[in-house]
Amino acid sequence: MAYVSMGEAHRRITEYLNRFCDAVSYQDSSMLCRLLSFSSNSPSLLSLADALNVFQDASSLIRQSDKFSEYGEILAHLFRSLQSYRVGNLVEAYLAFEKFANAFVQEFRNWESAWALEALYVVCYEVRILAEKADKELTSNGKSPEKLKAAGSLLMKVFGVLAGKGPKRVGALYVTCQLFKTYFKLGTVNLCRSVIRSIETARIFDFEEFPRRDKVTYMYYTGRLEVFNENFPAADTKLSYALQHCNPERERNIRMILKYLIPVKLSLGVIPKDELLQKYNLHEYMNVVQALRKGDLRLLRHALQEHEDRYVFPLTSYCTYLHLNCIVAVFLRSGVYLVLEKLELQVYQRLMKKIYIIQKLSDPARAHQLKLEVIAKALRWLEIDMDLDEVECIMTILIYKNLVKGYLAHKSKVVVLSKQDPFPKLNGKPVGS
Amino acid sequence: MNRRSRGSSSSSSSGSVGGASDSYRRRSDVPRNRSNDNTKGGDSADVSFIVGTCSSMCPERERVTRERLRDLSVFERLHGNPTKSSSDLAVKKFCRTLSAADVQASDVRPLSVLEETLSYLLSLLDSREHPFEVVHDFIFDRTRSIRQDLSIQNLASEGVIHLYEEIVKFHVISRQRLQGCSGTSISSMHHLNMEQLAKTLTTLYNIYDANRKPDYIYENEAEFRSLYVLLHLNTSSGVMGEPLSLWFRKLTSNLIKSKEMCFVRKLLRSYRNGNYRSFLRTTASEATYLQYCISEPHIREMRSFAVECINNVCYKLQPYPLLRLSHNLMMKEMDVESLCHECGLEIRTDSDGSIVLPTKQTNFCRPKEGFRNYDLIGIEVERLL
Repeated sequence: MAYVSMGEAHRRITEYLNRFCDAVSYQDSSMLCRLLSFSSNSPSLLSLADALNVFQDASSLIRQSDKFSEYGEILAHLFRSLQSYRVGNLVEAYLAFEKFANAFVQEFRNWESAWALEALYVVCYEVRILAEKADKELTSNGKSPEKLKAAGSLLMKVFGVLAGKGPKRVGALYVTCQLFKTYFKLGTVNLCRSVIRSIETARIFDFEEFPRRDKVTYMYYTGRLEVFNENFPAADTKLSYALQHCNPERERNIRMILKYLIPVKLSLGVIPKDELLQKYNLHEYMNVVQALRKGDLRLLRHALQEHEDRYVFPLTSYCTYLHLNCIVAVFLRSGVYLVLEKLELQVYQRLMKKIYIIQKLSDPARAHQLKLEVIAKALRWLEIDMDLDEVECIMTILIYKNLVKGYLAHKSKVVVLSKQDPFPKLNGKPVGS
Repeated sequence: MNRRSRGSSSSSSSGSVGGASDSYRRRSDVPRNRSNDNTKGGDSADVSFIVGTCSSMCPERERVTRERLRDLSVFERLHGNPTKSSSDLAVKKFCRTLSAADVQASDVRPLSVLEETLSYLLSLLDSREHPFEVVHDFIFDRTRSIRQDLSIQNLASEGVIHLYEEIVKFHVISRQRLQGCSGTSISSMHHLNMEQLAKTLTTLYNIYDANRKPDYIYENEAEFRSLYVLLHLNTSSGVMGEPLSLWFRKLTSNLIKSKEMCFVRKLLRSYRNGNYRSFLRTTASEATYLQYCISEPHIREMRSFAVECINNVCYKLQPYPLLRLSHNLMMKEMDVESLCHECGLEIRTDSDGSIVLPTKQTNFCRPKEGFRNYDLIGIEVERLL
């Protein structure tokens, strides 16, 4: 911490107080945002924090002036939070910030217009981020993490304040997205349901009115929820919306959307181009896509296995919550593993098609007859050992689910393909059951 | 394959009666809402958890009251006398309307007594004197009371884990055996049994998670976790509320790689892809007894699905031999006949005497929900009972 003289400290604190009160008086939202954004670690905030820690009695400064004391409670908590933040007491910092946020929201309610909405967004964001940091501190001290959960409650309160008829209601979607991030982090995604219901059914909200950025984020999270619940057509709609409306320069966000959209599309029979995978660094899907294109079951299984065990990135906070000291596997953690496993049937379909095409080249008259023995041989070539009973079983299912058109003559141990369109495309529908 | 659990007195805190060393939750951490049935009292406001002092299976004052009210189960009657019990026979009943304020330490049994109680209850499973429904009903209620006592005292040592595991086993075995019973109340008994199975599993998982050391899993944890997957093979069966994809996210790496979890994931894949052959074969060769019991409804489902597919897909001029079908479905031939009938399909005898299933029949219907299960031929698991 830098050395600051008392005089200098006094000056900095007074300067901040003036800026804060002026921002409120002149309804300067962007100034207010800068003043509240702890996590930006801006030099001015850090130097203010140093000043506070030297001066120690900022409340007396606040009380001395009518201009400042009007927001006395808000500022006192804010300063306390900043001081703790600066010296690394994150739990204390969170607790004070929570009090600040509550007081701020009360004030916000009284402001008639929605001028301070951006500042409120900053407050919500900081609440969440500080809570995560506080929980990390708690866990590292052997205590159980509970601040993020508290932050969730606070955010719900803010949501309630915004869910009214006035102009402030367009802020509700931003807060909703902060809630989603909180619940996803905590693993309590079922709590998303109530806020989704409010957004989608309450008459005061018109989805189109919300800012574009918030709509994209909203669709991303609700799309992911659909993936978890295995509603693929719904997941497709939402994630596609997010992709279409996402700012093309936000490559990281696009990658996040694609991470979930690709498996959904795959299960609907739509295969992405390699260039897309390359551009957004989605290597984990390359082998899967390849396997689907070639009908290579072994490749599919290896791809799933590889990324089940592969070390990609440690989900630090999440692991900390669960006291885990391990690095996570891509597909299982992201919840798309189950989606991808179902692709097996599509890979089989592709394989059958390949066999058919090869047969057509060598003996067109009999190409439409797939001997089970031939299929078994093809699978053995892919290092998959399957007896004829299981081959027959797979073919039965493929035909039943309309991935293959034809019939099974079990006595002759052959599948007779329909002359017309024996391998129907999925056409955007999930594999039938 | 036979997972015999350890002796009941292997609790790490033998001798001590609850207390801080057994607590798995710090007082400040007590969640406000608990998913299992127990005291509705404001536990989060309580300063301390009760430490039970009741030294017999049933608190004396309860026994005396029930004797007087003639509220004794057949198992509790001394020489069949409906008004007389004894401390060897009476077992504390489950009390739904318990609130923290009403509970006295002398009414609550400490861990060692609970262990003895459970041992005694499970020994009744072999009783041939009474029909199984009666046995089940008694043990069902009394184990619920055991869970209640454990919960009130906030106990969660390894000994406690063992108790919960045994109770889960009871519910699973009951599920099996209730199938052999008949009567109007069986279906609701079955439903309640599954409900308590789910609740007990949830509590068990919570205890596994609390006090978790990194990279450590308990001896039987993988198997008991795998049961969750088996209860959720079907996406629409929200037995315990959370979709599988979400549930998997929370598992540790060790668990995911365990033999039991790999087994159920294989089953899950086969089930979701409709691969009945792989499903049945994998179950037969790798399932533990508990896993098999829970899988039974799905075995049945896969078999009727197989019949449906085969009927739908096979060449009309080549009816499917039942012998072959019985091999594929790992069933006795006469059971296959029975299954076909349940599906509304006719079978006939061929010119050379073999029984066949004519295909492309139009009357197929999914068999009604019921407990009729056929043996899985070729299963390698030892039955526990």
